[in-house]
Amino acid sequence: MNDRTLDRPALLIAEREIVTKLRDKTFIGSTVFSLVLVLAAVIIPALLAGRGGPDKIAVVDDAGARVVQQASVTQGDDGFEVNRVADRAAAEKLVTDGDVKAALLPGTDGYVVVGKDRVSTGLESALREAAAKVGMEQNAERAGLTPEQLRAGTKVELELLKPALLPDLVANFVNIGLALVFYMTALGFGMMIAQSVVQEKESRIVEILAAAVPIRSLLWGKVLGNTVLALSQIVVIAGASVIGLIATDQLDILKVVAPVAGWFVVFFVLGFVALAGLWAVAGSLATRQEDLGSTTLPGQMILMIPFFFAVFAGSSAKTVASFVPIASSMAMPGRMLTEKVPLWQPLLAIVFLLAGTVLIVRLGARLYERTLLQTGRRLGYREALALESS
Amino acid sequence: MLSVAGLTRRFGEQLALDDVSFDVVPGRMTGFVGANGAGKTTAMRIILGVLAAHGGEVRWNGEPLTQEIRRDFGYMPEERGLYPKMNIRDQLVFFGRLHGFDPIRAAERTDKLLERLGLAERAGDTLETLSLGNQQRVQIAAALVHEPIALVLDEPFSGLDPLAVDAMVDLLREEVTAEVPVLFSSHQLDLVERLCDDLVVLSRGKVVAAGPVAELASGPSLTYKLIVDGDAGWLRDVPGIQVRDVAGGTALFDVENDGVAQQVLQQAITRGPVLQFAPERVALSDIFREATR
Repeated sequence: MNDRTLDRPALLIAEREIVTKLRDKTFIGSTVFSLVLVLAAVIIPALLAGRGGPDKIAVVDDAGARVVQQASVTQGDDGFEVNRVADRAAAEKLVTDGDVKAALLPGTDGYVVVGKDRVSTGLESALREAAAKVGMEQNAERAGLTPEQLRAGTKVELELLKPALLPDLVANFVNIGLALVFYMTALGFGMMIAQSVVQEKESRIVEILAAAVPIRSLLWGKVLGNTVLALSQIVVIAGASVIGLIATDQLDILKVVAPVAGWFVVFFVLGFVALAGLWAVAGSLATRQEDLGSTTLPGQMILMIPFFFAVFAGSSAKTVASFVPIASSMAMPGRMLTEKVPLWQPLLAIVFLLAGTVLIVRLGARLYERTLLQTGRRLGYREALALESS
Repeated sequence: MLSVAGLTRRFGEQLALDDVSFDVVPGRMTGFVGANGAGKTTAMRIILGVLAAHGGEVRWNGEPLTQEIRRDFGYMPEERGLYPKMNIRDQLVFFGRLHGFDPIRAAERTDKLLERLGLAERAGDTLETLSLGNQQRVQIAAALVHEPIALVLDEPFSGLDPLAVDAMVDLLREEVTAEVPVLFSSHQLDLVERLCDDLVVLSRGKVVAAGPVAELASGPSLTYKLIVDGDAGWLRDVPGIQVRDVAGGTALFDVENDGVAQQVLQQAITRGPVLQFAPERVALSDIFREATR
C-alpha cells in the first residue's frame, strides 16, 4: 500500500543528520569560526611578512634606476619598483612619509641608501649586491672585458643532500596542522554522533526508528551523514585557505600541499568512518548524556594517543605511526608533505587502514545492534560484547 | 489479521512472556490490559520487532510477519519521544518517508494530519516548544502519518485530560479504516471499557482472558440489585436465588435466569415500594481483578 520509492533507509537517515546539522546554529557557528581561524592563519603571516606588492625605492637619476632594476631581477618574487623623483629633497620626503621603503641616491664613491628609521638587511644587501654588479660591469666594459669574461669562474651553485620540501618552520606547522584538522574534526563530529545516538535513546525515538528500519541502516545513515558533513566542512575550509594562499601570493606552499590533498582525503575518510562507528557505539552504550564521558573515553584515547605521536614523536616513531590504522590518518599526510615518501608506503598504509576500518565498523555494527535498545542502564564495552542479540 | 502465537520471552531468569497467543482483528480496537510488569510492553515490542522472542511468532494474515510488512505498521512506544529540536512538520515528513512514503506524499499527509489536529500554524515550531498535550498529538500523528496497515499503541492515553482523550479517540476512529487492526494497552480500565471491542488480559506473562468485551462482561452468573423502602431481609427465604448481601433495604443477589428475577420483582412490589431494580453489570475492573487474582 505504500510507495516503495525509498528502499535505502540509510540514505534518509543520513539526509536527516545533514539537514539537522545545517540548521543547527552551533554547528554553523563553529564552522564559520574555524573558517575565520584558518583564513587568519593563512593571511596574517603573509601580511606581516609584507608581501603586499613590490617595495618602492626612490631614485633621482638613471644610474640609480638601473641599480634598482638589477636588484629587482636578482631578488625575484615581487622585486622593487623604481620611483623617480627630481631631487634629493623630494626623495627624502618620500622616505620620511613612508611612501617608499628607501631612496638610492648618488654618493661620493657610489651610492647612499637612505632609510627612515631602519633599512631591512634584505633590502640593503639586495641594493648593495646590485650596485656592485652594475658597477663592475661598467668597470669591465671600460677595461675591455665582457661581463661574461669578468664573471668567469666565480659562479657558486647550491646543492642540498637532503632537500626539504618546505622550510622547517612551515613543515612543522603544516604537519601539526594536518593532524590537528583530523583530530579536531574526528573528535567534534564523534561527540556529535554519540550525542545524537544517546538523544535518540533518551527520547525513545529509537524504538520507532528500529521498528521501521533495520538497526544497521540507522548506524550506516549516521556514519554516512556525518562523514559527508565532516568532509564538506574540510573542503570548505581547505577551499578558503587555497583562496587565501592565492590572494596573498603564497603559491609556493600551495604547490607542495596540493598533490598531498588527495591522499589526505582518502586517509581522512577511512579514518573518520572507523571512528564514527566507534562513536556511535559509545552513544548506544550510554543511556543518558551524562554517561558519554565514560563511554567515549576509549574513542578519545584512540584519537589522542596517535595525535600526540603524530605531532611530537621522533621521525622513526612517526614513520611507524603512519602505518598504524587511524594513527596513519594523522601521521601519513604530514609525512608526505615534509619528506619524500615512496609511493608504496601510503598505499600500504591505506590497505592497513582499510582493513582496520572494516574490522572496527563490523564490530561496531554488532555492538550497536545489541546495545541500541538496551535502555536500562549504561553498559561497558566488555559487557556489550558478551550480550546476546536482543 | 495480526496474531501472536505462543510468544515466550525471558529476561535472565525471569519469564516475561509465557506462551502468549491472541488475535487482533481488523477494524476492531483491541484493548491490552494487565498490571504493571504483566508483559504488555514486552509483547508489543516483540510485535514491532524491536525485541526478539525466545519462542513463538508474530503472524500477519496467518503468515510469519516480515520486516517489509512491519514497516507499514504504526507504533507509539510507551515512553514518548520524538526529536525535541526538530520542527514538527519536518519530523512527521521524516517519519512518513521512513515508512516508505515519497517526500511529496509524506508532506501532503503531514499537512492533513496537522490540520486535523489543529497544529497547522505550529508546523514550523520545534517539538520542545509545544505543550505536553500537543506533543502527545504529534506523537500519535507520527504513528499515523504513513497510513499504517496495523496500529500498536502502548498506553496512548496516559497523561491526557478527558477532552484530549476524546479528541484522540475521534482521530483514531476517523483514521483507522475497517482493514486496520488496532492493539492498545492501557491501565485506565474505564477508558478501555468505553473504547474497546475486544480485550486481552495479561497477568504475569500469561493471557488470562481474551475475547469481545461484551462477552467477557456478561459473565457466567446473573447478578441483580434491589432497593426497597423497608427491610429486604425476606429475600433470604426466596427459593431459586442466592443472596450475596443485604443491608437494610439494599440487596445484591444472583439468580439462575431472568425469569426468576422477574418473580422476585413482583414479590417485592406486593410487599411495598420498589426504589430500584436492575441487573448489576460486571465492571471490567471485576473481570480484571478476577482474572489477575
